[in-house]
Amino acid sequence: MNGLKLAANYLRIGIMNEFQYRANLYIQILQTFIALGTGLIGLSLVFDQVDQLGGWGKADLLAVMGVFTIMGGVIRAAIQPNMERLMDEIREGTLDYALTKPADSQLLVSVREFRLWTLVDIVVGVIVLLVALSQLNWRVDAWSVLGFLSSLVMGALMTYCFWLIITSTAFWFIRVNEIANLFEGLYAAGRWPVTIYPNWLRYGLTFLVPVAFAVTVPASALTGRLTLQTWLGALALTATLFVVARMIWRTGLKNYSGASA
Amino acid sequence: MSSVISISKLAKHYQVPEREAGLKAAAKGLFKRKYKTVKAVDGISFDIQPGEVVGFLGPNGAGKTTTLKMLTGLLHPTSGEVSVLGFEPAKRPHDYLRQITLVMGNRNQLSWDLPALDSFDLQRAIYSIPTDEFKKTRDEFIELLDLKDLVQKPVRNLSLGERMKMEFVGALLHKPKILFLDEPTLGLDVTMQKRIRTFVAEYNQRYGATVLLTSHYMADVEALCRRVIVIHHGQLLFDGDLSALVEKFSAFKTVGFTLENPAADLSQYGDVVSVDGSRVTMRVPKEKTSAVTSRLLNDLSVEDLTVEAAPIEDVIESVFSVRKEALE
Amino acid sequence: MKRYFDFYASMMRMSVLEQWQYPVANYFYMIGMLAEPVIYMVVWSAVANQQGGSVGGYTPGSLAAYYIVWTLVRQMNIAFTPYGWEWRIRQGRLSMSLMRPIHPLHEDVAFFAGWKVVMIVLWIPLALALSFFFKPDLHPTLLEGIIFFVSIWMAYLIRTITLSLLGMVTFWTTRVSALFELYFAAELIFSGRLVPLSLMPEWVQQAAWFMPFRWAFGFPIEALVSSMTVNDLFAGLGMQLAWVFFGILVVSQVWKVAIRQFSAVGG
Repeated sequence: MNGLKLAANYLRIGIMNEFQYRANLYIQILQTFIALGTGLIGLSLVFDQVDQLGGWGKADLLAVMGVFTIMGGVIRAAIQPNMERLMDEIREGTLDYALTKPADSQLLVSVREFRLWTLVDIVVGVIVLLVALSQLNWRVDAWSVLGFLSSLVMGALMTYCFWLIITSTAFWFIRVNEIANLFEGLYAAGRWPVTIYPNWLRYGLTFLVPVAFAVTVPASALTGRLTLQTWLGALALTATLFVVARMIWRTGLKNYSGASA
Repeated sequence: MSSVISISKLAKHYQVPEREAGLKAAAKGLFKRKYKTVKAVDGISFDIQPGEVVGFLGPNGAGKTTTLKMLTGLLHPTSGEVSVLGFEPAKRPHDYLRQITLVMGNRNQLSWDLPALDSFDLQRAIYSIPTDEFKKTRDEFIELLDLKDLVQKPVRNLSLGERMKMEFVGALLHKPKILFLDEPTLGLDVTMQKRIRTFVAEYNQRYGATVLLTSHYMADVEALCRRVIVIHHGQLLFDGDLSALVEKFSAFKTVGFTLENPAADLSQYGDVVSVDGSRVTMRVPKEKTSAVTSRLLNDLSVEDLTVEAAPIEDVIESVFSVRKEALE
Repeated sequence: MKRYFDFYASMMRMSVLEQWQYPVANYFYMIGMLAEPVIYMVVWSAVANQQGGSVGGYTPGSLAAYYIVWTLVRQMNIAFTPYGWEWRIRQGRLSMSLMRPIHPLHEDVAFFAGWKVVMIVLWIPLALALSFFFKPDLHPTLLEGIIFFVSIWMAYLIRTITLSLLGMVTFWTTRVSALFELYFAAELIFSGRLVPLSLMPEWVQQAAWFMPFRWAFGFPIEALVSSMTVNDLFAGLGMQLAWVFFGILVVSQVWKVAIRQFSAVGG
């Protein structure tokens, strides 16, 4: 459990660091509210015209937006900064410092950065979600809460694996920042349930970029749409992605050490 | 008046927020800031004649770059007069900018991904150089710096030194009358430094251009400049011939000799700087030089005795250390 | 005049050569920007379908046309962001530009204009692919085509002007990202980027007439996609022209003050 201790340590340092830049908190709050505001405007424009979209009502879509905001906060707080740092280090050849430390390299490169203030997104996302649930007259039941929490964790894990795979390609292709941009664009698709997209796009958003599992599936759990098959599918995909990501990381690392030696 | 650069009582003062240590102080600073005045340049005056190559010296933070920026029009002086080629640089008239150039060792202007030739063409357009003249100058410089095989390669594939040579070509294509060179040889190896120096000297002679040069490498200054201007803490310390600077500020001379019996105790004569086999180098206070040499010749069996002025680096260093105490 | 022509030709040529070195990176960049309009397109097509085939005068086919043209206009829209200004001040690049006997803004305009030539060429296959998937319904007249071509370059100028004004704020403070975020949000709503303005409430449409955003984005698309009257087309072009002139006037005044500030504190 050395790894967990290490992660906790980096987390502590990251938080202390963030406290030095408190002005960023206000900027983050503003950004979160702008994103929320434009999201709500988009929703209300749609619901000016119709009262449901692909079987999802207004409150359902509000719940999707809540989950989207929460997951976005998790990605920007913990996943993206680590992966962006890793990309830079691979490109500039300064990864060696991290590799010489006595810990699992994958774990190490995944926990070094933490952006505390983006947690504002999570707080706001939770509030939006609660508002949506109250509009839905939602009643607590074990299956949907467990389904929601577990699929949220799996969604975050899948997103992490996806990022790691993309980032690891930097061992072979130098300019991968554009691919990172691509993800940001595609993640925005999660604002809407993936069921409204045409088939080819839906499959892409489910299996190539796990947006469906990151946002739509957890939201389905809360709105009573999650089936056991989907849940098991998510579990299987998480495990597969994790194994694949680790393999690609290992191969890339070997490639890297070979080149710099 | 015949001087091309003329500055008098030039000063630049900044208001900078005062930072105190600690979180509490930092939080307080969000609402009310205390300022203090930093005198980056504090009343300096000098004139430079056409065709002169002047070394502009001073430790980091002495005000060299600030002065250069005021001369090139990037900074407005707080007070004092600046006149270059009869222009007021702070107004940055295009007619003025067309006659000067600024080369900085750590900045690059050339497009990273393209052959330097393409960037040169852009310079032609920017400075509206007639095409024939442009080609002639370009080829002349390429020849002088031995760059013929490199101008077709993307700049990113060139070495640091080769890139710097290209920078010089690009910066001089419009044949400026005044060159402001800020650490132009920074980070280059000795051969490359020499190459750049020769080029600057050649340009100065061919076109009668005036050069103001800052450099940490005294070799640059020694090779190029007869005159040096030394500033420290924003004030002028010295303005005159390089040899006079050495004469005025060097407190020591370097005495070198070969000793037949290396075991002898030398500490009574002066500080031993180095012993290389039987060759000894000593540092001796200037006024004691003749006394020490005659004693050395009397007491010991000494051969090949030489007396030299202290290295310029040491002189500069002693200038700054002496004056700092005097100023504070 | 000849001097500026020569400079623009030279700078644009260089920028084309530079950008042509990275077709793959440029492609990924473009594809990354495709997600946004595709999402809008899909959502609004779904809405149109549910409403019996059209929403606010747009059918799924014309929505597809709107958002495919959108992707080109979005490319034309790229200019130096305020973050770019901050970066070049910090890097000392602005100082180097100021040493040249040509206004730094000319460098910006020419550099990005050259880049756009590359982007337009790269965009064509993407547009064909998108058309294959989304079946746009697009029948422009010759006049609309000409107006479109002129207006995308005007749009580029207008956005360069507004972003440059924001960029100059960085001469005074480095904490301007809040301001930028607000600008981008306003742009999203009032430009026709989120949805065609005709789907917006009446007051938004009216307000958009008096703001620069629509003239820097939505107008060229509407000119090509929706059937505007000849009068409306020329009125729009006139509005763009007015914004360009007004903008140049404001920029040159603000520039004077900004550069005074810059040379007071040093670059």
